[in-house]
Amino acid sequence: MTFIAEQIVKVFPGVRALDRATLRLEPGTIHALLGENGAGKSTLIKVVTGVYQPDGGRLLSTAEDGSLTELSFGGPLDAQRAGIGVVHQERNLVPAFSVAENIALQAVPKRRGFVDQEAMRGLARRCLDRLDVHLDVDRPVSSLSVAQMQLVEIAKALAVDSKVLLLDEPTASLTGDEAEALYTVVGALRDQGHSVVLVTHKLEEVFAVADTMTVLRDGRSVAEAQPLAEHTRDDVVTLMVGRAHADLQLDSRSVDTTTAPALELENVSTAQGHHNISLHVRRGEILGLYGLVGAGRSELARAVLGLDAITGGTVRISGEPVRISSVGQALQRHRLGYVTENRKEEGVFLDQTIARNVSVTVWRRLARLGLVRGNDERALVEQYREQLGMRISGPTQLAGQLSGGNQQKVSLAKWLAADCDILVIDEPTVGIDVRTKAAFHELIVGLADAGIAILLISSDLPEMITLADRIAVMSEYRIVGELDNDHRYERTSHAVIRMIHAEIAS
Amino acid sequence: MTSTIDPTSSDARRIGSGNALRLREFVRSTDFTLIVLAAAGFVVLASTTGGNLFTGQTLKAVFQYLAVPILVGLAQMAVLAVGQMNLSVGVVTGFTAMVAAWLMVRVGLPAPVAVLAAVLLGGAIGLANGLLVVLTRINGFIVTLATMTVIDGLRYGVNGTGTFQNYSSGLVKLGQGSLVDVPNVFILAVLVALAVAVFFRRAVLGRQLLASGGNPLAARLSGISNDRAIVMAHVLSGLLAGVAGIVDVALSGSVNASIGDDLLLPSFAAPIIGGVALTGGVVAVLGTCLAAFIVRLIDVAQAQYSIDKSWVDLIVGAVVLGAVLVTQVRIGKKGART
Repeated sequence: MTFIAEQIVKVFPGVRALDRATLRLEPGTIHALLGENGAGKSTLIKVVTGVYQPDGGRLLSTAEDGSLTELSFGGPLDAQRAGIGVVHQERNLVPAFSVAENIALQAVPKRRGFVDQEAMRGLARRCLDRLDVHLDVDRPVSSLSVAQMQLVEIAKALAVDSKVLLLDEPTASLTGDEAEALYTVVGALRDQGHSVVLVTHKLEEVFAVADTMTVLRDGRSVAEAQPLAEHTRDDVVTLMVGRAHADLQLDSRSVDTTTAPALELENVSTAQGHHNISLHVRRGEILGLYGLVGAGRSELARAVLGLDAITGGTVRISGEPVRISSVGQALQRHRLGYVTENRKEEGVFLDQTIARNVSVTVWRRLARLGLVRGNDERALVEQYREQLGMRISGPTQLAGQLSGGNQQKVSLAKWLAADCDILVIDEPTVGIDVRTKAAFHELIVGLADAGIAILLISSDLPEMITLADRIAVMSEYRIVGELDNDHRYERTSHAVIRMIHAEIAS
Repeated sequence: MTSTIDPTSSDARRIGSGNALRLREFVRSTDFTLIVLAAAGFVVLASTTGGNLFTGQTLKAVFQYLAVPILVGLAQMAVLAVGQMNLSVGVVTGFTAMVAAWLMVRVGLPAPVAVLAAVLLGGAIGLANGLLVVLTRINGFIVTLATMTVIDGLRYGVNGTGTFQNYSSGLVKLGQGSLVDVPNVFILAVLVALAVAVFFRRAVLGRQLLASGGNPLAARLSGISNDRAIVMAHVLSGLLAGVAGIVDVALSGSVNASIGDDLLLPSFAAPIIGGVALTGGVVAVLGTCLAAFIVRLIDVAQAQYSIDKSWVDLIVGAVVLGAVLVTQVRIGKKGART
């Protein structure tokens, strides 16, 4: 069967995640789905697998005789019945169950209401045989390696007779040999007539195994089912990053380089796996820390804040070596604040008032005899309501009632209130509409102009190139390069992307 | 900085004007429902008993024996604020009462010293609970289940099944007395409730407790120690249970080891019916007091109508279950709105 997702539109509040994206999958091919972070890959996968219902466009399948059937997925189960299977990046196996039980999880063979053990083992063996994988089906999944679990997941998709198989970053946690073994299996599936979709950032692997590709950019498919043989890697990168449409044009800022950097990391290693990280940011400067999701950027920030252990190297603040053991200490002693990327989970107290959210970092300062003074607190809210353009009904409104953009402003306001000298700002505009995003960019530049040292973490390359004075590129918990940003989109983006892909390929 | 108000945005729509909005919000609140319920229950009870409820002694007893339920309700609320539970609230109340009486009768300490010592003992037990939870990372439910059992034994250790009486007549007089017809112990409970309300609303520590209970991840990233919050919540809970123990000593004039046995369910009933979230982060002092009053009315009805005592537990249990269900539905709706 040929599966087509045609002109798919998916709109979230304030964001057009997919804007007429088309994905065409032929049987017997390995198809790469490419795009930078936020291009709409995940959303498209979720539409194709029935998690999201599209706001526009059609899902179609063609039979061998050429007849078209329009599909409609009410949920993931419908997609599964239509023969579309997916192996997610995060494992979806029950660790305590055996290999056979996991493979047959969605298609349990029954006899008189009980599980037919023999039929279940048989099904599991048949699925594994088709992959040419030899595994004891009675072993508990918890005893398998990551690579073996991945194969079990693929077998699980075969057990429900999937014709289309989506693999989301399948080699992210595999060694080179394991990845090679996986691609052998993927090749076997293609030869059996399956259509395999490969979602990955590793262009090297794409060129090694895939036949065709679709490239998404800003929710649109800028290349549809094109044969990879007709493209070079540079072409593909250009398709992925496109051209800049920066709405904020900045000149390079002059930064005082005579004093010690506000924050400096020298050969820092962490328990999380960072190795020899060196970077610095001066007062009034924005250092961008770019990298793909999972490159270890937020983890580095957390280590600097004392939330994870630093195992080697030196952290200096204004030239003085420091050891920070908690966020409270970072804030009170070093005026270092961290605006988290997960605003809903970690940035705001949803069931508390805006006033409390904004003042949480400065309760002590606002208190007399241990009691927080309400007037000062309200004044604080009014100050940031104006400065950040928060759209709120009043200081006593609950933070949970605000839109994402306004919650982000609340999350930022508490660090501004704390009068920080150094701010680590992590993915400030994820899931925020375009207008608010522009306002945020202006705000961040304003903070730097006011003399705050800013370490900006972002996976949004246009944002990075718009805002940063310098860009440090991180890949797999290492800094793989650093460059001065001249705010010229094409040149800088190519340089950055090359740094990452060169690192992944090596 | 440019800021534009988009009239169609959901935030702009929520911006309503002043008092009308506040009134509407109040009418929808748990507190309002409870006030109506309490008033209706009181009126029905008063009229069906032929005005019996309004005779001096009965009315006084209604409020005298409301003090302990309010205090243990607040004690439970203090730990619910950080998403914990304290199963030892009832026995700590009984134990501190026993110890206070023992200090006065056997050791011969003056009443004020014994009272202070008993309250501090409650706090110390809370500290132990909190430290055990934080240091062992064992669930607070299990820790306090264990300490409850230990203290249950200790209660009988103080004086076996015997009764302490004839202690400080001054204390008992104070406990049973009234100020302009309002029982002293009830006044005490209300004052404590006010202090607790101010603590959670304005005090730095109280706010840290709520922040930690509402969202421990965000609390940590805001520089708040979640471990400290858990310990302090248990200390507060213990202190409040200690105060409840003192009220028992002062009110009853005699103390034995069975005091506090029947306080576990009421300690949960008051805050849960009162609108406190079991998941932490939200407290309701007024709601807890009102709910304690409603539970007290059920007790009074039992006495007035000579209903079988077992019905009371059944009714209270059902009301608690219903209250949790209602909260669940409300939270669900709130979640859908955001």
